[in-house]
Amino acid sequence: MPEKLTFEDQIARNKRQTVVVAAFMLVLLFGVVFAVGYILGTPPYFTLILALIVSSIYIGITWASATSTVLLASQARPVNPSVREEKLLAYRVEEMALSAGLPIPRVYIQDSRDINAFATGLTPDKAIICVTRGALEQLDQEELEGVIAHEMSHIANYDVRLATVTVGVVGAIAMIAEIGLRMLWFGGGRRGGGRDRGGAHPLLIVVAIAGLILAPILSRLTYLFLSRRREYLADATGAKLTRNPEGLAQALEKIKGDLPDDPKGSRTVAGLYIANPWKRVEAASVFATHPPIDERIRRLREM
Amino acid sequence: MAVSWVAIAIIVILILFVLYVISARNRIIRYDNEIDNSWSQIDVQLKRRADLIPNLVETVKGYAAHEKGVLEGVTKARAALMGASTPAEANAADNMLTQALGKLFAVAEAYPDLKANTNFLQLQDELTHTENKVSFSRQHYNDIVLRYNNAVTTFPGTLFASSLGKSRKAMLEIPPADREVPNVRF
Repeated sequence: MPEKLTFEDQIARNKRQTVVVAAFMLVLLFGVVFAVGYILGTPPYFTLILALIVSSIYIGITWASATSTVLLASQARPVNPSVREEKLLAYRVEEMALSAGLPIPRVYIQDSRDINAFATGLTPDKAIICVTRGALEQLDQEELEGVIAHEMSHIANYDVRLATVTVGVVGAIAMIAEIGLRMLWFGGGRRGGGRDRGGAHPLLIVVAIAGLILAPILSRLTYLFLSRRREYLADATGAKLTRNPEGLAQALEKIKGDLPDDPKGSRTVAGLYIANPWKRVEAASVFATHPPIDERIRRLREM
Repeated sequence: MAVSWVAIAIIVILILFVLYVISARNRIIRYDNEIDNSWSQIDVQLKRRADLIPNLVETVKGYAAHEKGVLEGVTKARAALMGASTPAEANAADNMLTQALGKLFAVAEAYPDLKANTNFLQLQDELTHTENKVSFSRQHYNDIVLRYNNAVTTFPGTLFASSLGKSRKAMLEIPPADREVPNVRF
């Protein structure tokens, strides 16, 4: 359904959706915790403490390793200012930082023939923008500016942090559900363990078990939904930074026509790239990290 | 009992309201500081831009000395920029300079030797860069001015805007053609 939205509308709408999705993730996490507690008949504070420990460990690990693993996996190197193309790239990044009112990120180059770029760093003052050599060679300055504005928007919108925490929560949900199901399997349940306090309804037990099986899948899909929303948001914020949506639209056209034959990096962070490095022309799918490229172009051209 | 609950509710609401007003007041002051900071950044870029001009004019003279009109236009605009004392004046002078430089770079197209000169190329990159920086800083400046203006002209900001000595600020004029300039030469 075609709808006409300015970038301000799109930004506001995406922010509302993020709040709803993040709330849903928390509901899922707590739902899983209480399902486990219900099935096992453990006291609520015990299950809650278990859940908090598991979640903090997961989020802690993803948090601590976020920037370093991404950079390491991408095999990126800092820009060399004595090469004109790379100097101009650093200039465009500096300009976008001014437009966003943010500190200037460090600029890296990834040695890949594909056209792509990503941003990382949990706070704006530690941010990094990385662009592939293919992007430098094939995009003109206006398109490059659009791509950098998109990445700068990920930084301005704290998307790296959001993705890191969400990946952590998805992991925690999977872990807690797994623990619950295993303990049930090995006879830790309230009926099997003989600790029946008589409060459990058999039907509710079945619902709780089904919930434990479905929650990890549902949380993963929620994460992907969020990732796609944040891509639209970064496109819209990027258009606000350059006041020139056509630059990014043209860059996306080129990306669409460029077959990804040289992907480098970590698959788990595919959502941080401007387009998925492993799969390019994506249909509208609940399993995709990015929205369909044609729809992104259409929305940009409408702004 | 009921009366005391009502009293507590009223007190809580009053406290929340006071906090709300204080934060609105602080926001106005913060935006004002941000505007000053943003302007000083634009100012730095404008100075940097003015500093690059003499070098550029010298380089162009070496190849196209007879393009006097164009060179004078650039020099004049630079002088106006150096002499500007208010943001609005500096902004107008900078727009003039952008136009003059646009003409200069257009003229340079006819001189292959000049275009191949590394010094000229580097100056052109630098000038485009500062020009972009000026225009994006201006855009950011206007964004904050908009937020500031909204804060001082709507409730509760209107309550104390005048006692703080804060009133609406003017946005910087951005000429429509400005956005096109950086892309001309690529």
